[in-house]
Amino acid sequence: MAFNLHIDALNPRRSTLHLEGRLDAMTFGEFDKEAEKVLQQMATGSTLVLDLSSLEYISSAGLRSIAKARKSMRAREGQTLLLNPQVQVRKVFDIVKAVPIKEIFQDMQELDQYLDQIQRKMMSESDDVE
Amino acid sequence: MTGYDVVGGVMVLRSLASRLAVWVLSGATVVFVASGFLLFRMVGRQLVQQAHRETEALASQGGSLIQERMDKVTNTARVLAAIIGPRPLDAEPLIRDAMAQNSDLAGLAAAFTPDTAAVKSVGRSPFVSRQYNGALVHRDLLKDPVPYWTAPWFKKGVDCDQGCWQAPFLSQSRHRQLVSYSSAMRVDGQVIGVVNADVTLDWLQGVLLSMDIPAGIHAFVVDQQGTYLANDTPGLVGKRADPALLGILQADDATNGWSNMPLQDQQGQAVGIYSQPIRGTDWNLALVVPDELIYAGVRQAFLSVLVIGALALLLLALLTMVIIRRLLTPLGVLAERAEFVARGALDFALPKVRRADEVGRLTGAFDKMRLELAAHLVELTRIAREQERLASELEIAQQIQTALLPGPHYLDARCQNFELYAALKPARTVGGDLYSYFMLPGQRFCVIIGDVADKGIPAALFMARTITLAKAMSSRAQTPQHLLQLLNRELCKNNDNCMFVTLLCGFLDAVSGNMAMASAGHDPPVLWGHAARPQLLSLASGPALGLEEDASYPIHRIRLKPGDTLLMYTDGVTEATNAALNPYGGERIIARIGEYHDHDEKPADPVKFLVDDIEQYSAGYGQADDIAVLALRWNHVGLEKGASMLELVFSASLQDVFDTLTRCDSTLRMAGVRHDVQSDVRLVLEELMVNMVQHGHSDEREATIGLRLTVAEEAILVELSHNGAAFDPLQSTTHRLTDDTAEKEEIGGLGLHLVRAMASELSYTHDEYGNHLQLRFACSYLKEHEHGL
Repeated sequence: MAFNLHIDALNPRRSTLHLEGRLDAMTFGEFDKEAEKVLQQMATGSTLVLDLSSLEYISSAGLRSIAKARKSMRAREGQTLLLNPQVQVRKVFDIVKAVPIKEIFQDMQELDQYLDQIQRKMMSESDDVE
Repeated sequence: MTGYDVVGGVMVLRSLASRLAVWVLSGATVVFVASGFLLFRMVGRQLVQQAHRETEALASQGGSLIQERMDKVTNTARVLAAIIGPRPLDAEPLIRDAMAQNSDLAGLAAAFTPDTAAVKSVGRSPFVSRQYNGALVHRDLLKDPVPYWTAPWFKKGVDCDQGCWQAPFLSQSRHRQLVSYSSAMRVDGQVIGVVNADVTLDWLQGVLLSMDIPAGIHAFVVDQQGTYLANDTPGLVGKRADPALLGILQADDATNGWSNMPLQDQQGQAVGIYSQPIRGTDWNLALVVPDELIYAGVRQAFLSVLVIGALALLLLALLTMVIIRRLLTPLGVLAERAEFVARGALDFALPKVRRADEVGRLTGAFDKMRLELAAHLVELTRIAREQERLASELEIAQQIQTALLPGPHYLDARCQNFELYAALKPARTVGGDLYSYFMLPGQRFCVIIGDVADKGIPAALFMARTITLAKAMSSRAQTPQHLLQLLNRELCKNNDNCMFVTLLCGFLDAVSGNMAMASAGHDPPVLWGHAARPQLLSLASGPALGLEEDASYPIHRIRLKPGDTLLMYTDGVTEATNAALNPYGGERIIARIGEYHDHDEKPADPVKFLVDDIEQYSAGYGQADDIAVLALRWNHVGLEKGASMLELVFSASLQDVFDTLTRCDSTLRMAGVRHDVQSDVRLVLEELMVNMVQHGHSDEREATIGLRLTVAEEAILVELSHNGAAFDPLQSTTHRLTDDTAEKEEIGGLGLHLVRAMASELSYTHDEYGNHLQLRFACSYLKEHEHGL
């Protein structure tokens, strides 16, 4: 049980992947495979949330997998948000500066607030257009 | 001051001037005496000859004078005889006239032979004599009571053909001593009588005295019979002369002149006699000259010469003294100053000498010598001070060098796993050999022994540089070969003199007894154990440090068993020489250590044993090179509490890598390492090992990875080795990190970036065995139980 991926009910607008255990050179393939399935169904401009609260450990191979997911989401003009990374994982992110600080959130509430804010912003922008 | 004067007097006597004067004077005296003697001989002879000539002249003159006067008498007598012979009747008037004319005559007589015609015709024999008062007295001899024709004088006068002088006689009638000349009167060849002319001896005496005879010379006239006819001593007239004197005179009769016969006069003085016959008589005029008179002149001449010579000599002496003193005075001053110099006083003035002779040159040279000596002394003093300073500096340098070395005995105090003995003996005050040992982080113990080429101060400085650099760099180095590399690179810098140091470096894992060693041209160490005999541990060696900047040093690993001792030494040991010039040699080390090893009650310190043995061995020759010996004994009392270790070799596959990671995790967890540190270690190891699996393909052999993990008190130490292609993770390019790694296609540098960030220390070496990575994780905070977590 080195790594486990748990996926919430699939929603093309907003999906959450729960990562558990160790994401490393041994397990990143498993994550890639599962994540790919989710990513294919994600709509344009959707949001992918990676819940890292149960992720104990990440190595450069895991970082690469997360980077790939981010790249894939960006191709869909979507965004990837990281939720609640543990100290060890956070340290790795900090070292490699793999993810912008603004895309890392401590808990779901903070994340929701952020998403609402964006939504409102986008709404006002579209109002302006209209 | 009296003492000084006495010394001064002795000095004067001993001075060169005095001695020279004495010698010159002695020579002059000898010459003077010799020449004086010769002169005296020559002058004396001349003077004697002159005296002889003078006397001869005197005698000749006296003889002539007497003869002249006598001749008048004899002439008168002869003339009268010639006239009276034919005319006997004129006899009386003739005689009377002759008497009146010639005052020399004392009496004249014409004595006829009796019975002749003359007597018969005349009838008398006239005789005229002169009285004292000068009155002439006439007498007829025929009337004398005693017939004169029988008297000897008459007979002699008759017989005397040419006339002759008679012997002196005392005239009874006139009371005077007379001498007469008789000349025969002839008629027709018939002797008719004798004319007899008398003169007094007083007259003759007067003639003699009328001679100018120098004082001291006696003169006399003596006849053939030895009667004094005249004598400058009047009392002797008419007396018989001394027979000895007569003998001389008669012996010299034939040859008138100087008598060489020794004779003494009445006073006993030596005299010389000169006789001169008076012609017409058988008389001799004799001059008696005392030797004294002759030699007085010579003596006087000699005396004057002596006095003049002595004066000249004295003058010469004075002159010599003065000149020599003047010449040699500077010499005396120089001698005095030279004594100053002998006492060490150089500050004095020399008299000014302008002369260009030897003394002048000597003075000049002496002054120059004094100045140069003074300068030299100053220089010597300066050098002595300099040397003193150097010696004290050297002593301080020795203290500093000693302070660079750790103590000669070290016991791993905490767990007594090992014990170390060391000794260092410089050949001079300071030396180039070095040893050092110190704990490194992570329970590692570093041991270094080295030998700088050359001896003395340069070697000592290089030694100090080496030992300081080694200490400073040891914390950066994970392995001895790495340390040697770092040291080498550092020592090569600005090493124009090409100084170099051979070094043997060992890193002992104080927990496990594993030892990694690397040698930079150093002598091989000796290893022995409980059961194992001592043997040389031949290590592959790199070049000495400081020569080639790019040199690499092979690593040699051994595992020390309990009881093992590792002995390191410098070549001062193998090259120690005995009196026979045989080196100590490596075999002797093995043999002596073997003896030590076999000893039942061996001393604990093998270093002291060996050093004592070397000292004994080289006692006859002395220590030529620095000696350093270091022995490390592994006791292995036990692992320190809590320390743990993992050592694995596995094939380079992902599966094995992750299996290993799991084992590491459990080891670290067992050791109580804090969780976040565990994760750091795991992350770094995963990155590195995955990298090795994915990129370090080796075609020839099976790729394996070696891992050695030690949990020490303050650090986690990891050694990773991999036999794949050379790859230095430290040198890989650092990616510019953006906020979004997803933008990059290839993000391979990410892992190494993580490694560099996570590991406290990281070092890389590559050798023929492949890549070696040393990692260290700082862990002063890592024990969970110590923090109550």
